[in-house]
Amino acid sequence: MITLRGLTKRYGEKTVVDALTCDVGPGQVTGFLGPNGAGKSTTMRMTVGLDRPQSGEVLVGGRRYAELRHPLREVGALLDAKALHPGRSAGKHLLAMARSNGIAASRVEEVLATVGLSDVAGKRAGQFSLGMGQRLGIAGALLGDPGILMFDEPVNGLDPDGVRWVRQLMRSLAAEGRTVFVSSHLMSEMQLTADHLVVIGKGKLLADAPVAEFIAGNSRATVSVRVPADGERAKLDARLRAEGGLTHPGEPGELVVDGLDVTRVGDLVHELGVRVHGLAEQTASLEQAYMELTASSVEYGVSA
Amino acid sequence: MTASVEVRGGGLPGAVASEWTKFWSVRATWWCLVAGTALMLFYGTLSAIAQRVGDQPQGAHTIALGGGFYLTQFAVIALATLFVASEYAGGGIRSTLLWTPVRSRVVLAKAAVLLPVLFAYGVLLSCAGMALATAVMDGHGLPTTLEAGFTTASGMGGYFALLGLLCTGIAWALRSAAGTLVSVIVLLVPLPLIVASLGLPEAMPYFPGIAGVNAMVEAGQPNPITMTAAPYALGVGLVICAAWTAAALLAGAAALHRRDA
Repeated sequence: MITLRGLTKRYGEKTVVDALTCDVGPGQVTGFLGPNGAGKSTTMRMTVGLDRPQSGEVLVGGRRYAELRHPLREVGALLDAKALHPGRSAGKHLLAMARSNGIAASRVEEVLATVGLSDVAGKRAGQFSLGMGQRLGIAGALLGDPGILMFDEPVNGLDPDGVRWVRQLMRSLAAEGRTVFVSSHLMSEMQLTADHLVVIGKGKLLADAPVAEFIAGNSRATVSVRVPADGERAKLDARLRAEGGLTHPGEPGELVVDGLDVTRVGDLVHELGVRVHGLAEQTASLEQAYMELTASSVEYGVSA
Repeated sequence: MTASVEVRGGGLPGAVASEWTKFWSVRATWWCLVAGTALMLFYGTLSAIAQRVGDQPQGAHTIALGGGFYLTQFAVIALATLFVASEYAGGGIRSTLLWTPVRSRVVLAKAAVLLPVLFAYGVLLSCAGMALATAVMDGHGLPTTLEAGFTTASGMGGYFALLGLLCTGIAWALRSAAGTLVSVIVLLVPLPLIVASLGLPEAMPYFPGIAGVNAMVEAGQPNPITMTAAPYALGVGLVICAAWTAAALLAGAAALHRRDA
């Protein structure tokens, strides 16, 4: 369990994290979403004591990170895969890490095998590719077998196989009852991986909800009807409006209906005897829901 | 969560064990130690040859002192500076503080690794320098008494250890290798000379470099760098070095504690 209580971080005049309060619970993958500069990384850095909040606090398992005698056995974090000495081998890096928290040296080989880096344990970390560096960072997070795991953009630089491997790893870690908190820009990936979402924008909490609830609450399902004949389409359009639907033209020959479900639209089509070439329900994706929610809080947006 | 993890360890002993592993697992450590050794042997050989032809007789212990102060100490400075500054060059400090979140422990752990290593290095290297110089001089120059040899060896060990810790303190505060090297070297050599030329020559023996040299010379004898005897007892030289080192470490620890990593 990660507990954020009124967590606030300012750099000079700029408030990067603004009174953030939420709980990240065990046994599920919690996705941490927000536009660039929304404060995700800063929040994660405060969680492990790298940055200090101006006010509020963040607790891991009920205590501050710096109070933990063996922090790596309780919290595993991948924040920045490049945060290591490039001249030190991957194996020695993990060995130094293990010794700092009294973790058995045999764990180093175990986690290297888990992430598929056993063959390059003696290679200097500075020569690693982006993807290998990311795997080494994940190995470090797993080293102390912690109950809380935190990953900042874990699939950065990974190939499709690696992305799928990370997704399965997150799922299995959560299934073992651990707390898994992961930030990402890849909405489609989050939709597949996360059970719960915490969304922030400009440092403020925008949403804290299960994925399905978040999508349902932040988007509307629409119905698309394709009617080739202009006259029939106009007739259907008028009828749909009379029934309380909101319509607008989509592609040529298409009507997009808001506010009526696909069953009702199909019945009306039948009633009017209109010839249709397509009738489909369009469910929103996480990405659409996210875009609607964060539209007003994009930090580095491009003005139209 | 499972039993594959031991229950002991961590804390300051864990931090020291971790830093020990980090210290010996980068090439810079070995390069600095080898370079410092080569410089001492180079200086010892050349100075001993000069004793056979020159007319300024010196003892082997004075030659070893010269090798340590004029050359080898710069390898010690580089070694200690890089041990801390490399944490900031690549962002490794963020990993280090994840492993050991109590920041003062990280400062102490690095100091605890350097202290015995540099002490042993100074003792061994001064002995090697004296042995080599004695052999090459082949009866020329001045004799070295056991007491003089012991003073030089123990003084160099103590000076290298405290000098290394001084560098780590400044490196924690400045977070840059270049800034630390310039600061320490200016503090050791040009600054005492400037202070002396500005009319305060009596302040010179209180700078860490000159105090360290005084710790390598028998009581009452002039040191070969400033050509004057120390105005204090033999052990006081290292106490002065220790005071500089303690101030630097406190400043470094305060800076590390205050800043976001």
